[in-house]
Amino acid sequence: MKIAVLLKIVPDTETRFQLNPEETDVITDRTTEWILGPYDEYAVEEAIRIKEKVGGQVITVTIGSGNEEKSIRKAMAMGVDEAILVESEGLAGSDPLTIAKVLAEQVKTLDADIILAGKMATDTSDSFVGPAVAQLLGIPVITEISSLEVREDGVTATRTASGRSEKFESKLPVVLTADKSLNDPRYPKLPDIMKAKKKPLHKKESAISPRGAITQIKAAFPPQKAGGTKIEGTTEEVVSVLMDGLTTKEKIF
Amino acid sequence: MSIAVFLESYQGKMAKASLETLKAATVMAEKLGISVFGIIIDDTVDTLVQEAGKFGVATVKSSAGVTIYHPTMYARIITNATKDASAVFLPATVWGNEIAPMVAVKLDATPVSDIIGIEDVGTFKRSIHGNKIHTTVKAEGNLVVTVRSGVFDLPGEVGGSASNEPISTETVDSDNFIKLAEVLVAQGDRPELTEADIVVSGGRGTGGPENFAQHIEPLADAMGAAVGASRAVVDAGWRPHGEQVGQTGKFVSPKVYVAVGISGAIQHLAGMSTADVIVAINTDSEAPIFKVADYGVVGDLNDVVPKLVEAIKQVKAA
Ligand SMILES: Cc1cc2nc3c(=O)[nH]c(=O)nc-3n(C[C@H](O)[C@H](O)[C@H](O)COP(=O)(O)OP(=O)(O)OC[C@H]3O[C@@H](n4cnc5c(N)ncnc54)[C@H](O)[C@@H]3O)c2cc1C
Ligand SMILES: Nc1ncnc2c1ncn2[C@@H]1O[C@H](COP(=O)(O)O)[C@@H](O)[C@H]1O
Repeated sequence: MKIAVLLKIVPDTETRFQLNPEETDVITDRTTEWILGPYDEYAVEEAIRIKEKVGGQVITVTIGSGNEEKSIRKAMAMGVDEAILVESEGLAGSDPLTIAKVLAEQVKTLDADIILAGKMATDTSDSFVGPAVAQLLGIPVITEISSLEVREDGVTATRTASGRSEKFESKLPVVLTADKSLNDPRYPKLPDIMKAKKKPLHKKESAISPRGAITQIKAAFPPQKAGGTKIEGTTEEVVSVLMDGLTTKEKIF
Repeated sequence: MSIAVFLESYQGKMAKASLETLKAATVMAEKLGISVFGIIIDDTVDTLVQEAGKFGVATVKSSAGVTIYHPTMYARIITNATKDASAVFLPATVWGNEIAPMVAVKLDATPVSDIIGIEDVGTFKRSIHGNKIHTTVKAEGNLVVTVRSGVFDLPGEVGGSASNEPISTETVDSDNFIKLAEVLVAQGDRPELTEADIVVSGGRGTGGPENFAQHIEPLADAMGAAVGASRAVVDAGWRPHGEQVGQTGKFVSPKVYVAVGISGAIQHLAGMSTADVIVAINTDSEAPIFKVADYGVVGDLNDVVPKLVEAIKQVKAA
């Protein structure tokens, strides 16, 4: 079975972000730690598990701007066989529809049975690319899956949507996007880290140009909530003060 | 020109997120001086059309007799209904997030995901890097917009009525389809976490799953709230993944958020600090959660919560 994983390399959300002087975006520099997209890591893990179970090959596809190789090698140490990297500052920073078109273009050449992606890239937070790639390829998609069963000719996946548990069946090929409860990603072992250095990483180019239909004009830190009112005293006192606030001021009950 | 809103419903019940999305679409339509129309897809649609009318929608395009959710089919129906619209708004629910990209590809429209505000026509507020940064983006062309739950108010009830126009159900590609095999409706009548007006979350301070059942759930039920949890609790296996609030869990923006035995780590705050009112109950008066709490109760949850539940029940009974 051939499994493609759409793998975005993102700044760790633990980064202490700073804004650029124009206040249009955050700065990334040498102190920024680039990691596998947290949801993409579940996708990578799931792809490797499928390979280990039914045999096959796992190939990742990444659009990036030059900070990716270390993380791609980590995915290879986890068990990814090959990687495709489209390195282009312009494309990496473009709108999600352009990203989806470039990824679909690359994935098409792979003839994959299963295409796994994260439910969301934690940097731009669009939750867009997975289903868009499916639509561009004309194949079905099941998003935000929390369990997966793979057969010769299809998959069964479950997910939670608005409090309901939904179970889907699909033929292959199919696009699946991973939610966090799908699995626990493995830590690569030292010999695998060594082996990963020799696995093929194909650099590709794309003729697709960004649409330029979206411009980020401002970036800011979210307004801090001015809380800080403490209620102290005996249990009776604190409950009474809180209830008074919730009923009289906030009119909740 | 007009703006389309997908009014998501399940078995005849309108999602709250749909009404908030309607509100967002109305904000933009008013700036443009154009109208909003609703799109409803369900088995029977009449009551839903009436409800849309009540909230000020004059026209609904609908597809009745649809008994099963199917993303490709929903995307097809919505696309058929929106060929002439200048923007399509969908709630950023699991369904909305799944359908919106397909619609955007079909219409070759500009996608703007998970908005948290509208500054002007085509200028939206979003949040990135795990809610640590807010951005303003300007989008051109026909738009497909998804709207984060809990951010926009519900529209006012104006008591109108909507006309209903069926959507052409041009044949749907029947091959290579996914099939929704089964839907298990969540048990109990607690609201869904991202849709709830009130969320009561428990942290490691609860001390264990049995205390969660003893304290957090009764408080949630007394307040008509959804139950949430910190990551510490989810990682310990006390509560399911779906209940985690925070940077790597759900983003919630309820009217009231009650954090019980939660320290208020930055990753937790990232998921809930946009709540209108924050209540914290914690023994440690130095806990960071108190920096954002409007009502910061310093006390032991084992004492405070039962008394609070009792007090709420009394007020509600009166
Ligand atoms: C990359 C990353 C992502 C993360 N994502 C998330 C996320 O999405 N969501 C999330 O929640 N966390 C997340 N975390 C974890 C986060 O950093 C904290 O570890 C976690 O939120 C702590 O959970 P807690 O507040 O329940 O536990 P603790 O920090 O242990 O706090 C327990 C609190 O309970 C109080 N307490 C104890 N006993 C009582 C009592 N009897 N009555 C009242 N109060 C009491 C204590 O004073 C303390 O403040 C993430 C961490 C990382 C590194
Ligand atoms: N630049 C990229 N390179 C590779 N995969 C990507 C890229 N951008 C998004 N993806 C994939 O699409 C998923 C959803 O991303 P998004 O729609 O941006 O939230 C991610 O989790 C990745 O699997």
